Amino acid sequence: MVDRSKRSRLMQQFIFVGPTSLFFFVIVLIPFFLGLYYSFTSWNGISQHTSWAGLRNYLHIFTKDPSFLNSFWFTAKFTLFGLVLTNLLGFTLAYVLTRKLFTRNVLRTVFFVPHVIGGLLLGFIWQFIFVRGFASLGAATGWSFFNLPWLGTESTAFWAVVIVFVWQNAGYLMVIYISAINNVPKGLLEASKVDGAGRLQSLMNVTIPLVMPAVTVCLFLSISWSFKVFDLNLALTKGGPFKATESVALNIYNEAYTISRFGMGSAKAIIFFIIVAVISMLQVRATKKREVEL
Amino acid sequence: MMRRTSGWLLTAALLPALLLSGCGRSGGNEDGVTTVHIYQFKVEIAEALSAMKAEFEKEHPEIRLDIQTVGGGTDYGASLRAKFSSGDEPDIFTIGGNNERDMWLEYLEDLSGESWAGDVKPLAAEQMTVDGKLYGMPMNLEGYGFIYNKELFQQAGITEKPLTLSALREAAQKLQDAGITPFANGYQEWFVLGNHNVNVAFAQQPDPVAFIAGLTDGSKTFAADPVFDQWVDLLDLTVEYGNPNPLSTDYNTQVTMLASGEAAMMQQGNWTQGQLDGIDPDLNLGILPMPIDDTAEDNDKLYVGVPSNWVINKNSPVKEEAKVFLDWMVTSDTGKRYITKEFQFIPALDSIEGTEEDLGLLGAEVLAYTDKDQALSWNWSRLPNGMPNELSSSIQGYLGGKLTKEGMLKEFQKNWDNLSVQ
Repeated sequence: MVDRSKRSRLMQQFIFVGPTSLFFFVIVLIPFFLGLYYSFTSWNGISQHTSWAGLRNYLHIFTKDPSFLNSFWFTAKFTLFGLVLTNLLGFTLAYVLTRKLFTRNVLRTVFFVPHVIGGLLLGFIWQFIFVRGFASLGAATGWSFFNLPWLGTESTAFWAVVIVFVWQNAGYLMVIYISAINNVPKGLLEASKVDGAGRLQSLMNVTIPLVMPAVTVCLFLSISWSFKVFDLNLALTKGGPFKATESVALNIYNEAYTISRFGMGSAKAIIFFIIVAVISMLQVRATKKREVEL
Repeated sequence: MMRRTSGWLLTAALLPALLLSGCGRSGGNEDGVTTVHIYQFKVEIAEALSAMKAEFEKEHPEIRLDIQTVGGGTDYGASLRAKFSSGDEPDIFTIGGNNERDMWLEYLEDLSGESWAGDVKPLAAEQMTVDGKLYGMPMNLEGYGFIYNKELFQQAGITEKPLTLSALREAAQKLQDAGITPFANGYQEWFVLGNHNVNVAFAQQPDPVAFIAGLTDGSKTFAADPVFDQWVDLLDLTVEYGNPNPLSTDYNTQVTMLASGEAAMMQQGNWTQGQLDGIDPDLNLGILPMPIDDTAEDNDKLYVGVPSNWVINKNSPVKEEAKVFLDWMVTSDTGKRYITKEFQFIPALDSIEGTEEDLGLLGAEVLAYTDKDQALSWNWSRLPNGMPNELSSSIQGYLGGKLTKEGMLKEFQKNWDNLSVQ
């Protein structure tokens, strides 16, 4: 009897976890180890034969390939600005839209919608805005801001990608922050008011510490989004001008499919994986410490 | 209870198998009709191709064609690779010559024995030949130079075709004085710079193939090469007399500028004919060479090559039927008519004739240059994979003021040294 219930419990676990682990295995784990294997070979992605290359790909990346480091530099800068601006804007929107505004439901939807549109499509829409839309606005208003060659120079193209990224993702973080702010007990806010705290003081000392779990989540999301950014650059600038907006993901894709060095691309992907894993772990650990519980 | 769980378990185990088997492709032969799967990237001919397919199937009821077109914005090369690695290999597909031919060589059927193989123009056959064997059927010829609007040239008082760099500068000055933008530069597009523009410097070498080999083995450098030095003069000229913001001008904008009469010249090829006709069918157009110095004779040339080739998968069970189709396309009257009239292709085979009425003004001019032996080669398919994109971004860096001329050539070298390692 005991044996039977144990077996049935095992069976249940198998049924519930089994399919997920199967897909995890097939879609994540196996490709990962295949990639690890390919990173030690020189394979062009087509041939049926691969030849063992040992550590040659890794050495080549660090000694002869300036574009990879260049794309890392872009991605790091992009992550920094993308992270800060998306979270600031997301939190500000959430803070404003949890007050009693009569249009707030409409506004919440409006700010969330960009996230629903795919990055590729967004990229093309914004490419049109930057190239045509801004040009005609510039002609109408004469403001130099609109007359900048937005996608034509390195610094403006960088900001162009940041702007679109923030516009796309701030709405999603806003939703997370809204639910966190709504969960802050009203009693605590009233108590702080009674104690004489102003709006800013209760925001800094009551609301923010209590939404720290949401901050952890949002930081994690925005770090992983901006590190993996691919479709936005592809559609908006294709990594140009002069490779100024080539993200690591785009660089890896180009290595494997345009340059046809699949082994080299896999080696880059492995390096990328290690770095992203380390950064994510550090970030989660750091923000976890700041979370408070009631 | 146990019985029920086993039932569930079975379903859970079978589900992925079911999903996976759904992706497979049905066999080639059903009820006496053989299906040939074709995978190609030229979106422009997709419609005409399916009309041609209907005519072919009428004449050959035992063969059915299944044509898939993937191109335009999507990355054809990547999707073709995905098809091969998933085991869903097409029977006929399209690839570029030289490097791509070598990469796919182990899958390619030798077509030297086909009846049409001897008719392929030498210029077109060379890029698909290894050890004297022909591995593909060149789809067509294409050529480029500076497409120009003859009426605007007349308006500005230019009577003679500029064949030297100085003459081109003079012409550009006259156009500018007449209030016309001389050049529409689409330098946002990597292929405009990295394939076509910089190809001028490779093709003007005494022996482009040897020069490219020299770059790889280190006996040649970009910085020490006189032709590259001259090529930069031409590049500078187009920017000096070009539209504002060339780096954020894309292909469509460039073509529209010429078609609307805003600009007088653009560096493009005969493939723009359809789009130009769509905007203004009455444009009086011609193609100018791209001169890099002041000697008229060796500059009066257009750059002509083969953009893509039909190839047959060696491992295909229906390769005989695939050969029948390729043969029909270039030997039957219907097939020939489609190539010149419907696809508006400049034929790559001597056995097919192209008239100006079929090919349009631009195509006819390219064909004329080719037949007069005034064609220089396309070399980007010989460069290390990915090099055109790198060349393009270095040139963009130069045009955007981030790099000096020397810096750009140094950048070329650095990328060459990176990419020529396999």
